[in-house]
Amino acid sequence: MRLKIAQGRLYDPAQGWDGEVGDLYIEGERIVAPLAEVDLVIDAQGQLVLAGGIDLRGQVATYGLNMLRLWGWLPSPREIGELYAGLGYTHVHEPFLTLYTAKYVHRELAALPIVDTSASLAVNLRDLDKWLKSPEQLGEVEQNIQFLVKQTRALNVRIIEPYVRFRQDYYAHRNIATENLLELLTRLAQGQNSTLTLEASPELLRQPLPDPPAFHLAALGPALTEAELVQAALNHLDQGGSADLGLMQPAGYESWPNLPVQINMGFFRPLDLCPSPSQDAALRALELALQYQGANLAFSGAGPLLAPVSGYARMFSWLTDPSARLQDWGAELGDRAYSLADWINMTRTLPARLLGFRDRGHLGIGARADLAIYDLPKNTDKIDLSQYLGRCRTLLKAGNLVIDNFNLINPEIARATYYLQTGGEASPWLGEMCQYRSFRLENLWVHDHLGGDWVGVQ
Amino acid sequence: MIESVICTGCGCLCDDLDVTIEGDRVIEVANVCLWGVNKFIATKKFHSKKDRRRILAPQSRRKGRAFDISYDAALEEAGNILVQARRPLVYGLTNNGSWAQEAALRLARRWHARLEPGDLAFMAPYYEALARHGLYWAPLEEIRDEADTILFWGANPIHSCPRHVVRYSVFSRGRFTERGAEERQIAAVDIYPTETAKFCKPYIQIDPGQELELLQGLIAQLIEGQEPPKRVKGTKKLAKLLSEANFGAIFVGRGVSYGPARKLWEGLARLVVWLNTRVPFSLFPLASDFNSVGLYHLLLRETGSPYAPDFGASSGLSSHPTPVDWREVDALLVTGADLFWFLTEEQVQDLKRRQVPIMVLSPFANRTTAKAQVVFPVALSGIETEEVAYRMDGLPVGLQKLISSPFRPDHQVLADLEQILAGSSGG
Ligand code: SF4
Repeated sequence: MRLKIAQGRLYDPAQGWDGEVGDLYIEGERIVAPLAEVDLVIDAQGQLVLAGGIDLRGQVATYGLNMLRLWGWLPSPREIGELYAGLGYTHVHEPFLTLYTAKYVHRELAALPIVDTSASLAVNLRDLDKWLKSPEQLGEVEQNIQFLVKQTRALNVRIIEPYVRFRQDYYAHRNIATENLLELLTRLAQGQNSTLTLEASPELLRQPLPDPPAFHLAALGPALTEAELVQAALNHLDQGGSADLGLMQPAGYESWPNLPVQINMGFFRPLDLCPSPSQDAALRALELALQYQGANLAFSGAGPLLAPVSGYARMFSWLTDPSARLQDWGAELGDRAYSLADWINMTRTLPARLLGFRDRGHLGIGARADLAIYDLPKNTDKIDLSQYLGRCRTLLKAGNLVIDNFNLINPEIARATYYLQTGGEASPWLGEMCQYRSFRLENLWVHDHLGGDWVGVQ
Repeated sequence: MIESVICTGCGCLCDDLDVTIEGDRVIEVANVCLWGVNKFIATKKFHSKKDRRRILAPQSRRKGRAFDISYDAALEEAGNILVQARRPLVYGLTNNGSWAQEAALRLARRWHARLEPGDLAFMAPYYEALARHGLYWAPLEEIRDEADTILFWGANPIHSCPRHVVRYSVFSRGRFTERGAEERQIAAVDIYPTETAKFCKPYIQIDPGQELELLQGLIAQLIEGQEPPKRVKGTKKLAKLLSEANFGAIFVGRGVSYGPARKLWEGLARLVVWLNTRVPFSLFPLASDFNSVGLYHLLLRETGSPYAPDFGASSGLSSHPTPVDWREVDALLVTGADLFWFLTEEQVQDLKRRQVPIMVLSPFANRTTAKAQVVFPVALSGIETEEVAYRMDGLPVGLQKLISSPFRPDHQVLADLEQILAGSSGG
């Protein structure tokens, strides 16, 4: 199928396009150079044409998350997929896949319609403590992590707890503090040729990272428990590090379900699926977004309860429209308004780069034709963009129409899970590293029929 | 020999079986328990000298006698039942793989049927209790590694999931429990002595009807700091054991279903949430059917509720925590369960009197196939066909096909039945 998207206002920071009117051509699943003939013309006159959105930290498949449905706090996978599509998103990245929850996560991801997916392997440094104490073995640590990424079909690595801490006093001699690990983690990050993602925490923000560009800090919002941590996060960004926001909703906390929903995944702290909301931290996250002027900050929400996908559109408007902030936060918080280019960078360009997708997040020739087309008035100054950016008129995925004239016409469009084909082999001590598993090693690996469709990337 | 095969004998889904195959026959299974071996070698459970009879062809019943028929003829006969039903029920599914469960859910939706998990009476009150009190969930992996206090309540794992105690809860050696049982306090509460009692200290044997009193005593003593009004023998010991835990788990068995299940789950959930404010503590239903947890997971994911969905309700989809009223059912599809094992004689007679047609999918002959109008033989999941199942802690595993089989997988039969309905409604 050959398509022409005619006379749209093209926005793509990567190409330097900031609303230029022009045509885009698509052949098969790719954006191509102008074609002499096409099969279909989509008139996008006066409309905003962007690459499909990418959620860098969309908690949609975490082990235990399904239990939130018991209280009606989480939409069904079908609804989640449709919500993302309606926003103009075509890819969602799950942050929490562990060695033994990998199969679970992939089954959940496969149940999401429309959007493509991927996941981070959340490495528990406790499993590696013995080797982390001997830096000369870092090569092998790296080798085994790469092997596990391949076998669990993850796309990248995430460190949730950048320390080793044991609950039992008996093992205290094996604890390793964050400050003693950062040097090693930096070398690990430098070795893997992409940024290493660390879940943000107050403790981590208090530590100066040796090489900020080597690290991505995920979900800043909940970590901003004190005012000075905002400056620490800004310093990280200003020094070339990247981060995602972890925005949170400001209101509705009076009716917050005061129930524990905690999942023990073997980390020092259980995963809290119903965290106590902090209005102060939520406000700081927004203030940080408004203060930061660079291109290293991606959009993300702080999890399905604090920032449901259904609230993303409203969150976008806090960034682009002071009056939306006044309405939801009771204050304008200054007059900063993200430009469309800023917003596109944080929802497309930067997430694609951080996930290593060279053919996503932009409109250049050769890019995959994941396009979101929005209505937009001529003058975009001080308008409530959430009305427009929260609902795309047309969504194309790999050159196929998914949403047409605001209607979902192709809910069964092919979707895939992307994973990194590292080619890595295990080092001899992998068995020792995994000795406490309740599964045999070969039953930990994710095989074809436990998820997919699969797309391996190099 | 095929190594690291997963056993579908119970919800433990032990993944360390080594299976020897000769031609198309399993001839030896290593690392398996007596219960599990019956899955691989067709002998009757715990009566290994008596074979379980495999159903070799689709069957139809006329004048009380079963006749072999072709698959297409069976589909046609089932199709007539499907299109004529007004209050149909899909029952069982806790012993089906996940693909079959998904197919059954699609079928139930199209058939406007109610779908009833075989162990709803056990699991629904558990979910109701969680909904009120919240949860702290730890997979078996973490319990094995860290739990130093285990309580079995109305549970006899030696009978319902025999290797649970060696792989996960009692004798297993985990990361911080290297000495296995020596590192753990193991207790049990039950109304009669079981094999489990042998390694439990304390083993608290109570009279039927005392469960709630015991639980209330624990709550009074631990949470409210009061002397229980009426103390069941063992309350103090048990309270001490629970309060001294560093990481605990309470495994609850089907025994609670024979008592005031709702109140028991409710009290246990409240107790565990309180214990959790001090140390990690998990409340864990010992779901013994091999993919019971997969079914509830599917229901939560697809219907937003773990209870029995009813797609025939006039008000749209409704979900029910209480078991079906059999008197309302006018057609039945049973898979992954031997329904007639659980029904009362009165219920059996009622179904018979009203000539409620029954369709069954089963690899083996059982009490329900003996009463069915149409029987579809199916391949054994994890032996004759690939599948997916969720361990009792909600972690899925892939089940392998080890040998070939002339039988269709159950998910395929269910999909074929759904197609009949799709055809009849023009959809
Ligand atoms: S405990 Fe259960 S899964 Fe394990 S071998 Fe026995 S029957 Fe099979």
